[in-house]
Amino acid sequence: MSDYLVPFGPQHPAIKEPISLRLKLSGSTVEGVDAQLGYIHRGVEKIFERENINNALYLAERICGICSYAHASAYTRAMESMMHIRAPPRVQYLRTMFAELERLHSHLLWAGFMCHEIGFETLFQLFWREREQILDVFERYTGNRVHHSYNKLGTVRYDIEDEDYIREQVHSILPTVKSLRSEIKGNGVVAARFKKVGPVTHKQAIEYCLVGPPARACGVKNDIRKLDPYEAYGKTKFKQPIYKSGDSYARTMVRLDEIFESVKIIDQCLRDMPATKVPKHSLKALPQGEGYGRVEAPRGENFHYYIVKDSKITRAKIRPPTLAVFPALETMMLGAHVGDVPVIVASIDPCIGCMERITVTKGRRTETLTEQEFRRKYCG
Amino acid sequence: MALMKKSPWVAVYNASSCNGCDLEVLAMLTPRYDIERFGCLWRDSPRHADILLVTGIGTKQSAKRLKRIYDQMASPKYVIAVGSCAISGGVFKEGHNFAGPIDKIIPVDAYVPGCPPRPESIILGVVKVLEKMK
Repeated sequence: MSDYLVPFGPQHPAIKEPISLRLKLSGSTVEGVDAQLGYIHRGVEKIFERENINNALYLAERICGICSYAHASAYTRAMESMMHIRAPPRVQYLRTMFAELERLHSHLLWAGFMCHEIGFETLFQLFWREREQILDVFERYTGNRVHHSYNKLGTVRYDIEDEDYIREQVHSILPTVKSLRSEIKGNGVVAARFKKVGPVTHKQAIEYCLVGPPARACGVKNDIRKLDPYEAYGKTKFKQPIYKSGDSYARTMVRLDEIFESVKIIDQCLRDMPATKVPKHSLKALPQGEGYGRVEAPRGENFHYYIVKDSKITRAKIRPPTLAVFPALETMMLGAHVGDVPVIVASIDPCIGCMERITVTKGRRTETLTEQEFRRKYCG
Repeated sequence: MALMKKSPWVAVYNASSCNGCDLEVLAMLTPRYDIERFGCLWRDSPRHADILLVTGIGTKQSAKRLKRIYDQMASPKYVIAVGSCAISGGVFKEGHNFAGPIDKIIPVDAYVPGCPPRPESIILGVVKVLEKMK
């Protein structure tokens, strides 16, 4: 029997996006979680259905502001697979490099948040200061800090000019990140707040189909960059950080280790990039039929599926990483201390903007459904 | 310097944005931009805040919550709509769940355009509201 029902969100200091969790508590132990979503449901999949294939690229980016480039590259991968074309080698290296730059900025941002959740404001500020170096690179080459619009079908918008600048900026964050990582590793307060908090076993991770860093923290090797290499990932060498304990601490360490691997990939891209020209526009055929693309976004596997008819999208289906990880949140929280709830929510690196589903409100009753459930119930 | 006489506290509410604007609002607090220079302090609860920064289009569900949050703030209160989505709905204007723009839901004092706006321009928006407070 639970003693209290505590609402958590939608406007809450610990979560920057509006989700509402109803926590059933017994004393201070969580006994049940009821997630109420739908605050950010913007109907993106439906808006896609009217779009021209070139315009839809900009809509795909705006699904999420943090993994904006991951959505754009999943979109281009889906469309290019439909047209059976591959981008020229230089374009592939450029795309790989920008995807890794995005991973850097996303992980730094997240690491700052994680420290913010346990009250380490100084670390939050320090991680975000380093993140600005990466955003400078984005701004210099794409003209924008968040939504880059860097990809085009078959090519990229701009070539890079001075490679040393990128190398310099990326390496300038390393000393600080190294020292902050050892700070997190050696600090007793951090260990007490992260270790054994929100654990998931290897078996549960497979049952829930976890993706990305939360899965790698339980020892599941599921990096799409290794399993299904796209762009230039097949030609680069990097490690998949794997931890075994599956708790918030392991998820933190996976992401911090990935920062160093990303820097390695960027270095290899800059070294191996062929000095050919980037085509202005290489769209030879219009896509037709259906296609899918999957990429490893900073949060895990990002899957896009499209059906195109007469250069208009008629159906879009998007499975962002947070949608795959979110159901496991309940398992992580059961039995946890109520004070650890913000840490657990932050440890899966939620991106609610990506994952909003349909909510049906009828009278005073509200229910959150997946698309299939909605069809079965209301469109049958 | 005359602006520094007031020290408004700011809060942010994400009325269904893509996070892009929220990141730039948060970047405004961090060392490179540092809004505390203007005497502003970040508050987690809108009840403590004088300025509410609103991002996102305002969906049917979040519009109700936004109205409630606005009512909970103590007067005098100011609202800044941050980003194209908050101003007009942006790319999501034709979506089936669009209940905005924000100025239809609550009164707005300043608009900051951009997708997303740079932290400098959000700071400019805050400074404009500071001028309005005089």
